[in-house]
Amino acid sequence: MSSQNGSTSYAVQAKDVNVYYGDFRAVKNINLDIEKNKITAFIGPSGCGKSTLLRAFNRMNDLIPISHMNGEIIYRGKNLYDDDVDPVEVRRRIGMVFQKPNPFPKSIYENIAWGARINGYKGDMDQLVEESLRSAAIWDEVKDKLDQSGLSLSGGQQQRLCIARTIAVKPEIILMDEPCSALDPIATLKIEELMRQLQEQYTIIIVTHNMQQAARSSDFTAFLNMDTEDRSGYMVEFSETSEMFTNPQNQQTEEYITGRFG
Amino acid sequence: MENYENLYPVDDELQKFIDYRKRTGSIWRGVFLMSLFVAILVLIVLMLNIINDAFGLVAVENEIDPHSLVIDYQENTMVNMPNTLVSADHGDLANGIIDNDSAIGFIGHAHYQANADELRLIAVDGQFPTAETVADGSYPFVRPLYIYTALDTLQSEPAVAEYFRFYLENANLVVGEMGYFPADETLVADQISLINKLAGSPQTADSVTGDLALSGSSSLYPLSRQMLVDFRQAGFNGDIGIEQIGSTAGIEAFCAGDIQVLNASRPMTAAEASACQRNRINPVEIAVGLDALAVVSNPSLDFLESVSWNELSLIFTAMNFWDEIDPSYPALPIVRSVPSAGSGSLNFLSARIFSDIALENLPTAAYADIIRDKLGRGRGRALERDQRFLADGFIFDSESAFTTACASDEPPTGCSLGARDRDNLFDVIEQEIIVPQVQETWPLYDSLFKQQEIVNRASAKYPDAIVEFKSWLNRDFLFNPQSSEAELAGVRTAIWGTVMVVATTFLFSFPVGVGAAIYMEEYADQTLWYNKIIQTNISNLAGVPSIIYGMLGLTVFVRLLLPLTSGQFFGRVAEGTDPSGRTVISAGLTLGLLILPIIIINAQEALRAVPNSMRRAGMGLGATKWQTTWSHVLPQALPGILTGTILAMSRAVGETAPLIVVGASTVIRTDPTFFSRFTVLPIQIFQWTSRPQAEFQNLAAAAIIVLLIILLTLNASAVILRNRYSTSN
Repeated sequence: MSSQNGSTSYAVQAKDVNVYYGDFRAVKNINLDIEKNKITAFIGPSGCGKSTLLRAFNRMNDLIPISHMNGEIIYRGKNLYDDDVDPVEVRRRIGMVFQKPNPFPKSIYENIAWGARINGYKGDMDQLVEESLRSAAIWDEVKDKLDQSGLSLSGGQQQRLCIARTIAVKPEIILMDEPCSALDPIATLKIEELMRQLQEQYTIIIVTHNMQQAARSSDFTAFLNMDTEDRSGYMVEFSETSEMFTNPQNQQTEEYITGRFG
Repeated sequence: MENYENLYPVDDELQKFIDYRKRTGSIWRGVFLMSLFVAILVLIVLMLNIINDAFGLVAVENEIDPHSLVIDYQENTMVNMPNTLVSADHGDLANGIIDNDSAIGFIGHAHYQANADELRLIAVDGQFPTAETVADGSYPFVRPLYIYTALDTLQSEPAVAEYFRFYLENANLVVGEMGYFPADETLVADQISLINKLAGSPQTADSVTGDLALSGSSSLYPLSRQMLVDFRQAGFNGDIGIEQIGSTAGIEAFCAGDIQVLNASRPMTAAEASACQRNRINPVEIAVGLDALAVVSNPSLDFLESVSWNELSLIFTAMNFWDEIDPSYPALPIVRSVPSAGSGSLNFLSARIFSDIALENLPTAAYADIIRDKLGRGRGRALERDQRFLADGFIFDSESAFTTACASDEPPTGCSLGARDRDNLFDVIEQEIIVPQVQETWPLYDSLFKQQEIVNRASAKYPDAIVEFKSWLNRDFLFNPQSSEAELAGVRTAIWGTVMVVATTFLFSFPVGVGAAIYMEEYADQTLWYNKIIQTNISNLAGVPSIIYGMLGLTVFVRLLLPLTSGQFFGRVAEGTDPSGRTVISAGLTLGLLILPIIIINAQEALRAVPNSMRRAGMGLGATKWQTTWSHVLPQALPGILTGTILAMSRAVGETAPLIVVGASTVIRTDPTFFSRFTVLPIQIFQWTSRPQAEFQNLAAAAIIVLLIILLTLNASAVILRNRYSTSN
């Protein structure tokens, strides 16, 4: 199930991860190595714990009072859940883009600059804003209206603004939780193109419901499914995307990607 | 499936069912509409009720007519002008004008007629005194002449009745040559028939018995004397006598029952008539002719044809040279002849000339003069020691007495304060000299639709009172402090009290309330049992009766925290006085406690309404909870928080019960400080409504309008704030 590559190329690793909501175990026994500068997609039916697992990678689950977890997330040789690790710092290193575009109700410029400022950025802010917007392939569309509200943009633009905002704080890993589910197909394509460009500098983990998207734009794919007995999610199969979509090892995987359930 | 379809109504049954549903719908719609009507109706009735009380007719009785103060002042000015001859004898006045080339003056028309070749008659406002202008009233300085007797005398002494008839029938024949003007013929005829009705049919002069004794006005003296002589010649054989003691003194003696027939150059005032009534003397008033006062000058002032009202006022009270009146006149000094103050003519003249000058228009120096003349010495000294009337001297105190007082251990405030300003002097005059007292008030509805009836009733009941339309809500009401005189009472101190109490409330409850809400919403784990208890408690506290907060405020702020709330701790309580915790601070903090739960709940709602995606977006960028809350959650929640806070503040503005418990005062005459006793608008309203006098109900209505305006302003600002923030997002 795990990749054949050497451990030095891993951006982040999950070891025996279980996430609980109260007494309910949402995902169980996840072991996963995410490779650097690759796009890894989590696919699976609704409720199988893809987003829960994704949030475990930057401790966003901490914000849900009833959730807790065990197991380890190893990042740069350190478990993110060790007591001496500050979750605020984790989230800066491992950024996140959400399902619904959620720009701040402030100017486009301020949307980018705020994250940098609160993280103590000392350089030229204009330059950072421009570079981040360029990296998110939205500069040309917004360069003349940086003082307008982020909410004045279209859905696809808003999502790219959110990506620009995320990369402005220079993370190493970007977690994307179904970033295209609220977007039309053209905006979706643009985000996918963007992901390919970002891949050169960032490691990306994406949760998606869209099998074509996973097939088109990811290097690795993890298929999660829900255990019929305790209703918790577990990882069925993890392999290179091309292999999974052409030659799935597991019966469930094959049924899912050919659309027979889910 | 067919089975199910059969279970739904069809055709007629379906139509009935649809009709039934529609009918039910319209009935409910009607019920809702009725509810709306009832609500609107109640509101309208409430507003009308308040407006009905806040405006309307009032009968105000002044201790001294303010206009008489003006007249007195102007008279004083007139007789004290330089180059002015003052005399009661019109012959002297005439001679003064004849002897001086640039003289002008007032004399009786009879005296002008006697010296017509040496005097120049001047038109007033274009009118000369002639039989026509006097008869039709276009010449202004005309006064009717009267003879009076008591009804009993008229009926029991035939000589008096016969003399009155003789007077009326013959006076008009001789007035022309004597310099008087005749009375209106119809009026004469009416008065003769009145006497016939009261005293029986006419007899002849020689057939009546009894004596005749006349007294009173010197203006009427020559005419009445002539009539006595003629009456004797017509055959009357009783004793006759006539004295001249002046109209005012004459009326006084007449009403005391000392005079048989009274001569008067002015009608009795209502007050004098009622004094007569009290002595069981029913005066019968008979008008016998008209007397005119002429404006005359030395013949050399040939440039002067006619004088306007304004010129008269300038000539006799202000200017000293003719060219100051009009640049085209020669630069000669103005020399004046004016009847003396005791003569009655002066009073008549000044009442006419200065009728348009209101007390408000007099110069500031006049106010000091009026205070000096009319205010009692003891009261004047007390007021002067509070604050001086003049910057450069004293009215009631001698310089040395004042210096001694200022050198004492506790010098009066008058030593350090500057002199009173114009408004202050005016207030002193109004409160200490005029002393207006509301005798009766009428609501707006009656004032509009039964005006005549009210005016008639009021003039019978309060002969000296002025019936006027009054808006109880006026400038003075807003700027005057509380007073026990309804006419002078205002809400300034109550408005200040409200503003300061509410400011304290806001400063306390806004930061505390919003802080608590932020903790509960953003930090506290709401699943924990103690947080649940706190949340429930906050919700329940919002429903606790406000008087209980009053008890809490009394115990905690007024008693326990006395050193803080009285200002003692801050050195704000003078040595030797007992500190009192019943202060603005205590009241503000009590109201702050009262609205704290409301602010917390509203702020929590507002924070909860901020989408969680904002918090996740912030946290996902590596922001701390506080950074996210401060930069994104709070700004988005702010309009809601402010709206809730303002609505809570308007609750505090209208609150009465807890403040009564905390110890609001009702009579506060000085503007409050944070550590002083206080009153607020609702307390003031409560106090006024609980007083028995009707005029305080009117004041309460006006104060309610002020309170409503403050509340509406607060609520409107909440709406504007909300709209502005929601459009800017």
